[in-house]
Amino acid sequence: MKTPAIETFDLAKNYGATRALLGLDLRVNEGEVVGCLGPNGAGKTTLIRLLLGLLIPSRGRAEIFGLDARRDTVAAHRRLAYVPGEANLWPSLSVAETLRLLGRVHGKIDLTYQTELIDRFSLEPSKRVRALSKGNRQKLILVAALASRADLLVLDEPTNGLDPLMEQAFRLCVHEAKERGQSVLLSSHILSEVEALCDQIAILRAGSLVEMGTLAEMRHLSALTVEVTFERSVPDVTRVPGVSSVDVQDLTLRCQVRGSVEPLLNALANSGVRELLSREPSLEELFLTHYGAPAADVANVNAP
Amino acid sequence: MSTLLSSSTSAVSRAQRSRLAIGRVTTRKAVRSGAVWGVVFGLYIAIQALTYATSYKTLAARHLLVRQFGNNAGISALVGPANQIDTVPGFTAWKCLTVLAIIASVWGILTSTKLTRGEEDAGRWEVLLAGAVTRKGAATQALLGMAAGVSALFVTTSIISVAVGRDAKVGISVGSAVYFSVAIVSGALMFLVVGAFCSQLSTSRRQAAGLASVLLGASYALRMIADSSSGLAWLRWATPLGWIEELQPLTTPHSVALVPIVALVAVFAVGTVHLAGRRDLGAGVLSDRSTIEVIRPLPTTPIGLTLYLSRSVIVAWAVSILAYGLLLGGIAKSGGKIITSSPSLRLAFARLGVSGAEAYLSVALLIMAVVMSFIALGQISAARKEESSGQLENLLVRPFSRTAWLGERVALGTTVLVLGAVLAGVATWVGAISDHANVNLSSLLNAGLNVAFPALLLFGVGVLALGIVPRLVSTITYSLFVWFLLIELVGSEVKMNHWILDLSAFHQMAASPAAPVAWTANATMAAIALASTILGVEFFRRRDLKGE
Repeated sequence: MKTPAIETFDLAKNYGATRALLGLDLRVNEGEVVGCLGPNGAGKTTLIRLLLGLLIPSRGRAEIFGLDARRDTVAAHRRLAYVPGEANLWPSLSVAETLRLLGRVHGKIDLTYQTELIDRFSLEPSKRVRALSKGNRQKLILVAALASRADLLVLDEPTNGLDPLMEQAFRLCVHEAKERGQSVLLSSHILSEVEALCDQIAILRAGSLVEMGTLAEMRHLSALTVEVTFERSVPDVTRVPGVSSVDVQDLTLRCQVRGSVEPLLNALANSGVRELLSREPSLEELFLTHYGAPAADVANVNAP
Repeated sequence: MSTLLSSSTSAVSRAQRSRLAIGRVTTRKAVRSGAVWGVVFGLYIAIQALTYATSYKTLAARHLLVRQFGNNAGISALVGPANQIDTVPGFTAWKCLTVLAIIASVWGILTSTKLTRGEEDAGRWEVLLAGAVTRKGAATQALLGMAAGVSALFVTTSIISVAVGRDAKVGISVGSAVYFSVAIVSGALMFLVVGAFCSQLSTSRRQAAGLASVLLGASYALRMIADSSSGLAWLRWATPLGWIEELQPLTTPHSVALVPIVALVAVFAVGTVHLAGRRDLGAGVLSDRSTIEVIRPLPTTPIGLTLYLSRSVIVAWAVSILAYGLLLGGIAKSGGKIITSSPSLRLAFARLGVSGAEAYLSVALLIMAVVMSFIALGQISAARKEESSGQLENLLVRPFSRTAWLGERVALGTTVLVLGAVLAGVATWVGAISDHANVNLSSLLNAGLNVAFPALLLFGVGVLALGIVPRLVSTITYSLFVWFLLIELVGSEVKMNHWILDLSAFHQMAASPAAPVAWTANATMAAIALASTILGVEFFRRRDLKGE
C-alpha cells in the first residue's frame, strides 16, 4: 500500500483556552484531490498550518508522505507546495524576481511550465509586487507554487481575490496536477469549486471532522430535496415520517426527505399533484445540513 | 420623532467620531509615550541638578570644575559648550541639554515613523481612509495627535523641572525651567515632523526611520564640528541641534533661535500634509517606479535577500560610524587637554601610562557603544518584522528550516556588529592621527571591538525574546537598552549600589583605550549573548509562528 500524501493522527491544537482542533484523523491518498470545507473558525487554516509545521501541535502528529511534519519539516517541504489565502510578499521585488527567489529556495522548478503559467494567469513579470492588486499577488503566489510541480499541493483558499476567468485557469491547473498524479488538499469557501475539483470532501466543524467521503457517498446518506406543485391546495405533510424543512409558497411545497420516499408518496396520493420534482442535494445543501442553516439561505452562502 | 432625532444625532456623532479616528488613536499612543519619557527626562534633570548642588558646595570646587571642562573643545564637541558650569543652572543645562535633546529627537523619529508609516504599513489606515477622511486629513490628524504627545512630554518634563528648580539648593525660576523644557522638547518636535515627512517619502517604516536618522546624524555631526572650535561657532546656525544649543536655556536665554525651529516644524508639517495628499496609500514619493524591466541580479538566498533589503540601513550606519569615528578622533588631542588641565587627573593617568587623548577617546567611544546598540536593536526588530508581516512564511513553507533562517540572521547581525566595531576603531584612529594625537592602531582597534559587546549582549537577549515572547521583542530590548543607558548616565552621579551598576552592560564595558579592555567582562557578556542566542533559536524552533 502506498504511503498517503497526508496523514494525521489525533492531531489537536489549542490556543490558550481555545480548542481550535480536537484530535483530527485525516488521510489524503497519493493522487487524490481532497476538498476541506467548514465555516470560519472550523479549524481549516489551523490544520493546514500544522501540516506545514508553522504551528506546533498540542497533541498528535501529522505526516507528509510518511515524513513527520514537525521533525522532518525540510524533507517534507521538498515534496509540497503551499498557497496561502493572503500573499505577504516583498513589496520592492518584481514578479520575476519573486519567482526566481522562491524557485531557488524551493530548489526544483519547471521553468517551461512557469512561463506557461505566467502567460495563463496574465501576470506581468516586470511589475513590482507593491504595484500589484490583491488578485494579482494571489496569482503570483499560485504560479510560484504550481511551477514547483510538487507531489502535494496544499491550497488554503487559493482563489481569494481572483476573477472568474482566473478561477477557470486555476481549475485547469488543478485538473492538470491531478492528471500528473499530484495530490491536492484544497480548503475553500467556494463550494462549486470544491464540487468541480475534488474526489473527496472533508467537512470540519468546530475543530472536528464531521464528515468525509466522496460527494456521491455524502449525497446517498443525505436527504433528497422534493418539490411538489398542487392543483388546488397544499396538504400538511409535516407529520409524515422522514420529512423535514417543509416550506410552502402558494401551491408549491418544498421539503427534504431522509430515507424512503414512500410515506410521502402515500400522503400525497389523491391530493391533486400537478408536478413532482426530486433531486439529490447540492454540495451547498449538504454543507448547510451539517451546519443547520435553512435551505433558503443557500444562495447567500455561495457568494465567493 | 424624538427617537428618530436622537438616533440620527447619534449616527452623526458616530460618523464624526470615525472621521477623527486616526487623530484619536495617534493622540492616545503619542500622549502615553510622551508622558512616560517626560518622567524619565524630568528625573534625569532632577538628579543632575541635585547631585551638583550637593557635591560641589564650595566655590573652589566649582572653579576647579570650570578649569577642567570650561573651554574644552573636545568636551564641547561631545555634549556642547560648558557655559557657567560654576552655577547649578549652568551645570544642569550643560549636562542635560544635548543628551536629552538627542534622546528626544530619537523619540520623535521613532514615534512619528511608527504612528504614520508603521500604521499605514499595517493596513490600519486603509479602512479609515475608505470613509470620509482624506489622505491630507489623515496626515493632519496624525500630526496633531503626535503634537499632543510632544505636549505631554513637555508638560511632564516642565512639572518636574519646575518642582526641582524650587529647591533652595537648585534655585531655577519657573520661567527658566519651562524655557529649558521647551529647548529639550523642541528636538522631539523637529524630528517628529522630519520623521513624518520621511514617512511620506519612503515605502516602509524602516526606510523612513533610516532616512530621518541620517538627518539627525548629520545634524549632530555638524553641531560637533561647530562646537569643536570657536571659529566655527556660526555653523551651529546650520543644524537643528545647534539651534537648540543656541537657545542657551538656564544661562543666557536667546529665544531668537526659536525662529528657525518653528520655521522647520512649519515647513516639514506643511510638506508632510502636501505629500500625503499627492501620493497613493501605501506608496512613497521615492521609488515610485511600479515596473522593473530587467531582472536585477539580486541574491536568491534568504540571507542574501535580507542583506539586499537592508543594504541602505547598513550603509547609513556604516557612514555614521565612519563620520563619528573621524570626528571624535579628529578632536582627540584637544579633548585630551582636559587631562593636562587637572594635575591630579594627569598624575593618575600618567601612572596608568595613558595619554590625554586616550582618556578623552574612552569617554567619546561610549557614544559609539550606544550607536552599536541601536544597530543591534534594529537587527532584532527587523527579524521580528519579517515574521510578523508574514513574509517569513514564504520561506518556511519551502525546504528551508527555521534554524537556518534565524541562524543566518544571527550570523548577519553578529558580522555587522563586529565589522561596525572594527570600523569604529579604525575611523577613530584615522581621525586621531590626523590630529597628531599620540594613539596607536592596536589600542584603538581593541577599544573599537570593546564597544561591540554591550550590543552583542542586547542582540542575544533579543534573540531569546524572539524565541519565547515574539510580540514583546521590541519592548524588552528597548527597555533593556534604556535601563543600561540610564544606569550608566545617572548611576555614577547618585553613587548607586555597585550591584545595580553592574547590571548595566555599558558599565561593564571598560573605558578603553584609557583603561585596558576588560576581556573577562566582555567574555561574560559574549557568553550570555551566546547562551541566550542558542536558547532563543531552540525556543523559536519549538513555537508557533506568530503574526502581529
